[in-house]
Amino acid sequence: MTGHEETHDSSHAGGEAPDRRGLSAWALGGGTEPDARFTLANERTFLAWIRTSLAMVAGGIAVEAFTSELFAPEIRKTVAVLLLLLGLVTAGGSFFRWLNVERAMRHQAPLPVPLIAPILAAGGAIVAAVLIVFVIGRPA
Amino acid sequence: MHDDPGLQPERTDLAWRRTSLTLISAACIFLRWVPHYGWFAGTLVAASLLVALGIALTQRRRYHRAASGIGGAAMTANVRATAAIAGSVVVLAGLGIYTVLFLPLQR
Repeated sequence: MTGHEETHDSSHAGGEAPDRRGLSAWALGGGTEPDARFTLANERTFLAWIRTSLAMVAGGIAVEAFTSELFAPEIRKTVAVLLLLLGLVTAGGSFFRWLNVERAMRHQAPLPVPLIAPILAAGGAIVAAVLIVFVIGRPA
Repeated sequence: MHDDPGLQPERTDLAWRRTSLTLISAACIFLRWVPHYGWFAGTLVAASLLVALGIALTQRRRYHRAASGIGGAAMTANVRATAAIAGSVVVLAGLGIYTVLFLPLQR
């Protein structure tokens, strides 16, 4: 009971620099400041997604850089672009995921289901399948 | 500075630093493109390193903000930092796709 009232006393939170407040107010869409621990946990989860997307990007760069003697140019470029695209979508999606979670917490609403999780899983499976087909079809 | 036994500001600080290190390793792999794609690949190396440096230089400010937030001060989510890092990765990946698809290989 007492913990519930604490979230309502700072509906127009002070102590923020005016420039940051304008952007935040526009992006976060009202509500009340959640517990700082939840905001930080959301930020760390976002950063974990960003590192995942960077791993995809790094994988794409590596495929283009290291497999020129292994695959024909079309195959190499297909796999590299697929990985880079997957990294791009994951990075963009992780920001909107972070924003939606933060908005939900500001309105004490249930947290949204992560859309980027199935996208990443399906994308990773597609890249792996493409690689398997190319490796099997490659002349020995 | 704060009395959180969950060490939230430290953990968040380390998450940012890991992200910065991941960007540095991406820059290192981008280096392998320089012999093939020339100065444009060099730009991608420099851009990745700049984002990593940007994180490192603003880290102290983010830590203190997190620590005072845990200490009870009002703390609004850091929209600018998350938008900047996500946008940077999107731009880096986009430029990488452009390089692979449209730039000619140099011998």
